[in-house]
Amino acid sequence: MKKRYTSLVLAAAVSAAVLAGCGGSKPQTAAPAQTSGQDSTQGVADAGELSGEITFWHSFTQGPRLETLQKAADKFMTENPEVKINIETFSWNDFYTKWTTGLASGNVPDMSTALPAQVAEMINVDALTPINDLIDDIGRDKFAEAAIAEGSMDGNNYSIPLYRHAHVMWIRKDLLEENGLEVPATWDELYETAKTLTKDGVYGLSFPCGTNDFQATFFLDFYVRSGGGSLLTEDLKADLTSDLAIEGINYWVKVYNDCSPKDSINFDVLDQATLYYQGKTAFDFNSGFQISGVAANSPDLLQYVDCYPIPKISAGDETEGIMTTNTPMVVWKASKHPEICKAFMKTLYDEDTYVEFLHATPVGMLPAIKGIADTESYKDDETIQQFTHAEEVLTAAADIGTAFGYEHGPNVQAGIMQNNHVVEEMFQDIITNGTDVETAAKTAEDKLNALFETAE
Amino acid sequence: MAKKNYTRWLFVLPAMVIVIALFIYPICSSVLYSFTNKNLIKATYKFIGFKNYVEVFKDSGFWLSFFHSLKWTVLSLAGQIVVGFTAAMALKRIEVGKGVYKTLLIIPWAFPSIVIAFSWKWILNGVYGFLPNILLKLGICETTPQFLTSGTMAFITLVMINIWFGAPMIMVNVLSALETVPRDQYEAAQIDGARPWQSFYYVTVPHIKMVVGLLVVLRTVWIFNNFDLIYLITGGGPAGSTQTIPLYAYNMGWSTKLIGRSSAVTVLLFIFLMIICGIYFAVINKWEREESK
Repeated sequence: MKKRYTSLVLAAAVSAAVLAGCGGSKPQTAAPAQTSGQDSTQGVADAGELSGEITFWHSFTQGPRLETLQKAADKFMTENPEVKINIETFSWNDFYTKWTTGLASGNVPDMSTALPAQVAEMINVDALTPINDLIDDIGRDKFAEAAIAEGSMDGNNYSIPLYRHAHVMWIRKDLLEENGLEVPATWDELYETAKTLTKDGVYGLSFPCGTNDFQATFFLDFYVRSGGGSLLTEDLKADLTSDLAIEGINYWVKVYNDCSPKDSINFDVLDQATLYYQGKTAFDFNSGFQISGVAANSPDLLQYVDCYPIPKISAGDETEGIMTTNTPMVVWKASKHPEICKAFMKTLYDEDTYVEFLHATPVGMLPAIKGIADTESYKDDETIQQFTHAEEVLTAAADIGTAFGYEHGPNVQAGIMQNNHVVEEMFQDIITNGTDVETAAKTAEDKLNALFETAE
Repeated sequence: MAKKNYTRWLFVLPAMVIVIALFIYPICSSVLYSFTNKNLIKATYKFIGFKNYVEVFKDSGFWLSFFHSLKWTVLSLAGQIVVGFTAAMALKRIEVGKGVYKTLLIIPWAFPSIVIAFSWKWILNGVYGFLPNILLKLGICETTPQFLTSGTMAFITLVMINIWFGAPMIMVNVLSALETVPRDQYEAAQIDGARPWQSFYYVTVPHIKMVVGLLVVLRTVWIFNNFDLIYLITGGGPAGSTQTIPLYAYNMGWSTKLIGRSSAVTVLLFIFLMIICGIYFAVINKWEREESK
């Protein structure tokens, strides 16, 4: 009898241990659950009152930015001993999979960074908490109206921009000078210049269309928007068959054939940027992050790097706003401690912390708050001083651009177009199978419109 | 009347919980979702009957991916068996340093897929990759070989990488089986005047065919279901030329978020593999019956 009793206890202990191992319980916290940031009476609470544990997902994978955020979290936890902030980092590409699957399984963070086009999808599935009170608390007038509007719906603000950047054309001054070439101002000039520079192990311009990223979608968007067009119609249907879009597709296929490494058919953003960092491409389209990339990979080339506005179709065309990214932060509706998230977010905008964060990737991250760029502390950086022209170009582009696909206002369709790689598949089909451009564009357009319908 | 003993149930409970949680539940939920319009990020869904299955069967992309999966499985499996078998036969003849060679040959199988995928991507990269550049410098190729950028070449390259990756596992198992063949049977065959191929066919094959048969079953399922290697190296491209059914299902569920339709694909995949395994096991059972006679 005693033996059987012992066996029972042992079996129960083993079962319990296994079950416990499967669980993912968090330590209990003293803070009460909040249901909505806007309804919260606590609002952006005083630091001393806070208690609880939050998880912060972000996509700042590079060392200095990661370290700055960790430092800010450590400082916040020191000031609020009852608060614990767990930081988890994912690349931008992984982040999309992470939050979509996390939402399905109930495993989302308390707060996170996001891409603007994804915020509309998050709002659409009611995954976010409004943060109007946080924006008011920091000062609504300190942010660009357009940046706040990107994450707003029905009078509620669901995201707050942490920093901004814009896509521009990056050049290699030395290669242009050696070949007696001017900085191209039109797409045709860019093609001719890139073709001339495709020699001696250097490619003029790589055209990336790997289906694990959305680079080709962006590149086509640059062309179409530079001509005043859009990849979305005003009633938010895909538009890949407009004259401008067909012209753009033909243009990039021509660039791929004559100026680009053949491997770029599988390139993602990092593959593409790495070529520029290593001095293997003369031109590229990207944000100010190119500077830190070149500095890390080929410091000798840094003196030859500069950027210019995205080319126009004709030199006399009006300057169109193209792509600005106001990288936002959001608070998830499932969070039990939105008050901690908002209090922590607010500290990120303290001038010292904020400038230190921006200096982690100087010129790459432009301030989202007005006036910071004029402060002495912001200007006190070697890279910012060295790349004044680049910063001017980037700032001018950021001022007039919108998030990808938001030229008609925030919408879910932009995120779907960006993240489903239909445009990349279209380019691969044209390049690999020789499919007629109009046919491939129509197929891709129909596929995107079918996907848009599933989101409604 | 004997008293029921529940202790044994408590001991198997942990294993049962794990099997239900990790095996039964996903299968049941996939079957359930395959009859719904479940979207990855939407909370509500409704029953739509066989609509997902109809849509999948109507999609030319599904049939193309299915054809790629069949090609991928047959070519990879055949290559792995030929290379693995040959390596095992060669190793069996080695007297000195067999352990060292065995260890060296099994290295590819010991690496995680992500390491293998990124290493091969780097080696085959047309701009700074080792292999294309050395082929160019040696004058073997006039232009940069497009290992991963041309549709046909990308598929062949992936198959080759998979053979390189999977052959060591076949080799180790076949070698173990070869070690069990009694030496006196070879000696008897030699006395009877058997030629080497006759010794192989009448002595070696009967002893190892059960092991090889089981390996074929396991490898068929693993290769057909392989996702990571293809996803990490080509992502199914260029232009879908390396997209197999698991990648098709993944893109359906995670890119387009149509979990219902993605589940229908996985259920069809499950049924297909069950049929294939059923055929294999019927053959193996037949061999067993013949042996026991």
